[in-house]
Order: sequence, then C-alpha cells, then structure tokens
Amino acid sequence: MSASSSAADYARRNPLTVGGAALLVVVAAAFVVAFDVPLADLLTVGTLQRSLRAAMPIALAAVGGLYAEKSGVFNIGLEGFMIFGALTGAAGAWLASGGDSVGQADLWVGILAAVVVCTLLTVGFAVLTVTFEADQIVAGLAVWFLGLGFGPFTATVIWGGVSSPSLPNVDDVTVPLLADLPVVGELLFDTSPLLWITVLVVVVAWVVLYRTRYGYWVQAAGENPEALDTAGVDVNRVRYAAVVVSGALAGLGGAVLSVGIGSGFTGTGVTMVDGRGWIAIVAYLFGNYNPLGAFGASLLFGAMDMLQIQFQTIGVSLPGSIVGLFPYVAVLVVLTLVGYTRVPAAVGEPYDTEQ
Amino acid sequence: MSGTAGGARAALDRAADRMVDATAVERFVIAVASTALALAFGAVVVAVSGYDAVEFMSALLYGAVGNLQNVAFTLRQSTMLVLAGVAVAVAFRAGVFNIGVQGQFVVGGFATTLTILFLAPHLPRGTVGGVLLMLFGTVAAVIAGGAYAAVPGVMKAYADANEVITTIMLNFIANGVVFYLIDGSLRPPGTSSPNTPSFPDYVGLPPFAFGSSSFSVIGLGVALLAVAVVYVVVARTGFGYDLVTSGYQESAAAYSGVDPKRMVVATMTFSGMIAGVCGALFAIMILGYYTDPATFPRFGFDAIAVSLLAANNPLGVVPAGLLFGGLDAGGQYIGFTLDVPAELIDGIVGIVVLFVATPELFRIAGRFGGLGGGRE
Repeated sequence: MSASSSAADYARRNPLTVGGAALLVVVAAAFVVAFDVPLADLLTVGTLQRSLRAAMPIALAAVGGLYAEKSGVFNIGLEGFMIFGALTGAAGAWLASGGDSVGQADLWVGILAAVVVCTLLTVGFAVLTVTFEADQIVAGLAVWFLGLGFGPFTATVIWGGVSSPSLPNVDDVTVPLLADLPVVGELLFDTSPLLWITVLVVVVAWVVLYRTRYGYWVQAAGENPEALDTAGVDVNRVRYAAVVVSGALAGLGGAVLSVGIGSGFTGTGVTMVDGRGWIAIVAYLFGNYNPLGAFGASLLFGAMDMLQIQFQTIGVSLPGSIVGLFPYVAVLVVLTLVGYTRVPAAVGEPYDTEQ
Repeated sequence: MSGTAGGARAALDRAADRMVDATAVERFVIAVASTALALAFGAVVVAVSGYDAVEFMSALLYGAVGNLQNVAFTLRQSTMLVLAGVAVAVAFRAGVFNIGVQGQFVVGGFATTLTILFLAPHLPRGTVGGVLLMLFGTVAAVIAGGAYAAVPGVMKAYADANEVITTIMLNFIANGVVFYLIDGSLRPPGTSSPNTPSFPDYVGLPPFAFGSSSFSVIGLGVALLAVAVVYVVVARTGFGYDLVTSGYQESAAAYSGVDPKRMVVATMTFSGMIAGVCGALFAIMILGYYTDPATFPRFGFDAIAVSLLAANNPLGVVPAGLLFGGLDAGGQYIGFTLDVPAELIDGIVGIVVLFVATPELFRIAGRFGGLGGGRE
C-alpha cells in the first residue's frame, strides 16, 4: 500500500471513511445552526490548544495499538496499559521526589518509569498472546481488569487512597522567536514538550511503517505471515516487537494523562483513563491504520473532550454530565460509519511455523 | 464478514473451538487451577505490599462464609453475578462479545425504579400492590435492558461496528445519562445526594432465614430460575440451537437458513433482557431506591470472568458465580478489617480471566507434569 497516494485516491478507496467524516461535519454544522452556537468563540486558538493537549494520550495509545494490530495482534488491552502508565507516572514522580515537593525532573522520571513498566508488562502480554496463543480479546479485557484492580490497589499502598495527592505537571516550553509566530507559534512553540514528543512519535511511526523494511515486515506479519516466514523473517519476533511498542506508547499516553497534563493519578470509578484506551482503538480505525490519520481522529476526540470547557466559556448551558458523554457518542457514530474498515487479514490468528 | 468484527469473530471462533475440544474435566481443571493460581498470586502481592498473607487468606475465607451474615452477603453478590454471568454467557455462546452487561444492568434497574416510583400512587398499598409493582418493575427492566442491548446488536449486524467497543461506550453513556436524569429530575428537592426517593416500604423481598435487609432467598431463586430458563432455551429450543451454531460455526448456521445478522440482534437482546432482570433485582432487593450508577459494583464486568470460568455454560455459571460472590464478599471484608485495599480482588479477577484466556499454558504445564492434557 503506497502512502503517497493522492487525496482523491484515498477517497476512492475509502468512500465510507470520507463519507463518515463529511457526515460528522454536516451534523456538527446542523448543531451549530440549531443551537445558534457562536462559532467564532468556539473555534479559537485556545480551543485548538486544549484539543491538542487532550488528544496527546489518545494519539500515543492509538499509534501503539495500530502497530500491534498491523502486525496481527489486536491489543485490546490499551486501556489497561494506559491505567498502569498513568499510575506509574504519578508513582514514579512521587517516589523520585521522596514524597515532598515533586519537581520537573521527578515528573520526567515518572514518565520514563511508566514507559519502562508498561514495556515490561506488554512483554508478558506478548508472551501470552503470541507464544501461548491466548485469546487476544479475552486477554486484552483481562489487562483492563488488572489495571482497574491493581491501579487503585497500588495507589492505596503508596498514598493510602485510590488517588494520588495533587501533583504538578510538566511545564510548557516557549521557543524564543518562533513562539511569536501567529497561531502556529502559540500552538506549537509555546506548549508542552510532550506535544512535540507526540508529534514526533506520530511522524516516526508513519515513516517506519511505510518507508522502512521493518514497517513492511510489520504489515506483512498482519497481512500474509506465511509469505514473511518464507522470506526468512521470524513472524512472531516482529509481532513481539510491535506489541511491546504498543504497550510502551500506551504507558506513555497514560503518564501524559496523569503527570504530563493532569495533576496526578485518580483511581476512582474506572480511573482517570476513563475509556481513552478504547477511544484510541477507534481513533486508529477511523484513521484507517495510518498514524497520521489516527492523530487526526485523536484530535477530533480530544476536541469532543474539551467541548465542556468551550461551552462554559461561551455560555451554552448543557449539563456537564451530558457534554462529558460527547466523546463516547462520537465513537459510536464513527464506528457505525466506518466499522467496516478492512483489518489486516491475519489479525487474531496466532502463527505457528509448523503450519 | 469483514471488518474488526471479522477479527474478533476469528478469535472467538478459535477460543470456542478450543473450548469445544477441551473435555469437561479439562475445563474444570483449568477453571480451578486459574482461580487457585490467581489467589496465590494475590497472596504474594499482599505479602510484597507489606501485609500478612496468611491473615489475608483466612480473613478472605471468613469474610465469605465465616458467619450467617457473611454467607448472606456472599449469596447476595452471587445472585447478582449468576444473573449477570448468564447474560454474558448467552452472548459469548453465540460468538458475540457483550461487554455491555453493566450498562444494560444499569438501564434495567433504572427502568424498574421509574416504574415503581410512578405506578406506586396508582396501585393499592400493601402486599398485593408491592408484588404488582415488583412485577411491572421487572418487566420494564427486561424491556429496557433488551432494548439497550439491541442497539449495539444492530450496529454490529448491519454496520460491522465492533461490539466490544460499542458496548463499552454504551456503558459510559448509560452511567452518564442515568446520573443526569436522577440528579436533574428525580432527586427530591432539598437533598444534595443524587438519590431518587425510596421505594414504598411494601416493595421489597422478605428476608426469610438470613435476616438480611439486602438479601432474600427469593432473589437467589430468581437467579436460578433464569439459569434454568436459559439452559432450556439454549439446549432444547430451535432458537438455542441456532444461537450455539452461529457461535461455533457461522457458515454452518448460515447454510441451515439462519440469518446471521438477525441472530446477532436476537442474541444481544436476549442477553440484555437477562441483564435487565439483574438490574431489577439490584434496585428492588439491594438498594430500595436508585442512585449514581458510577457508585455501583461492577457486576457486569466480574460476570465476564464468571462466564469464562464456566466455559460460557449457563449451568456452570452457578458454581462460578458462587465462587466469585465469595471472593467479592471476602474482598470487601478484608477492605474493612485488614486495611488491605478491596481493589485487590478486582486484580485477582483480572488474573483469573488472563489464565482462562490462555488454556495453552495449562496444556503445556500438564504435558510437562504428565497430568493428562497430552492431546495434540
């Protein structure tokens, strides 16, 4: 699959995706007209800034999940790995600081710890799903349950309650000169360094997937593992690598949520991750397994997540409990419209060399 | 079938094949070994976290069955888990991942609450009125639960939307909307917590032998009756035959004239109806009012573990539900007495599910240990 195909070509191959996006725009437009929403106040640089921030955890997990699924393993455990990431990010920062005042360096230690811990956890997940041929969906659900259980449990062991105390988050960085550029400067050069990392991950993921030999292996492992095997590449090794990448990125996404943009770990209910791992899966489906597309979809869901603040600032009175459901409703709309996306042929099938 | 649902389908088909391959003894061994290993792991976690593992295990046991009150609590949790477990099992049996039992349960219980609160002024007070209210309430829950489950069923059947994700989203939406309605319109004026008014005191199940205000043998009877009905439907009716065939062999079902799309919708609806009964019982037997669903126990999720442990067999759900009911009761007890966070039990449930997902582990262990399982 060539990534350099034109937009028209993309539209021809994915009529429903494009149609779905168009329909979303129409529905949104109808909403704006029907409720007389002051659009200019809604579409500010601030809106975009908040949406980008909210999109970061989703985009990171989505890119990870996309790699796993491209290689033939449906990592439905993203939500669970994000919970572990969010917890470890906060716990790592807390422990690094010795418990008193958490500094910027401690936060980065926490983020790094989250990536390391989730990498190790996904090695275990890969052993079960790739080598021991566990049912991928059930095992993925199990990861979520493990996160829901051991996340708040560990928090209680460390802090005496299911949530951490309020922690600082990563400071924004202002790039001199560039930050003065109109719009772009404010969006990209006066922002959290984690946004740069996210954009970097997305771009690198795209380049690796479509422009390197490893990327072709990943795609082949999911589409035609026999051919890859015949070519002398160990299918399961490629899958291990892709699954571990998915866990590391989901962990990073979780840590971004808790100490990157949030104020520590919240373990009440279904924890602070609150469905973002599931939304990430839909984001890469909507993005048609393309890292750039997944980022775009994450931005859409991020914007939905931020609507509440937006509505408040412009004085549209919808109760928070309802506006908070918009991302989930958006997911349902998206899935109904593009649910047919063509998944890699061998997803869900363990590969045995003997076969 | 194409799409994500196709991938899910393939995974489920293989899991089903494996489970069909597995003998009853093997399944039982896997279930027992999974639970035992998960508990052992839990004990290790407890020890590593600086608590006393022996004390933990004995307190867990005492909390589950130590005295009459604890047994009543175990049975109460088991009642919920058996009902929710059967709801999950029906769907899984047919190859549909209904992860939305929690949401269907929430919506069902809410329908019961609305029905009881709105009909109460129009019916005679006393036992007759109470029984009528409970009956109407349960019917409302069955309809609401079934309808709420039909939505992801239709989305899966006709738009190929992955039901794992749609049902999880609908869980979030159910919680949010029910909270909004209770907080916005049903909360009595002058109160601050998001609770509906209480049901009339003649609505409720008699405590009988256990003297517990939140458990009645009648509730357990309802759960067992549901199990029996589901078992008969699955094993003895044409619908049940089609349901199981579409789960194991979609193409065979299609050849025999079953419309797979309608089957998916019917399965989801059936599953949601049972989840609705669970919600009705929760509202009537346990709460006696309704409140913010975010504070409810996650029976719908634990039920997934219950159903998997029972190899999605409706009859197997009963012992599995009892086991998990005991775990749950024991877990809450250790939460109160030992200061060991009760969330640990959720984690242990996760481990059980992980083990059950990987029967291959036990096969290999069995081969090395020479304990049967040497089938190739």
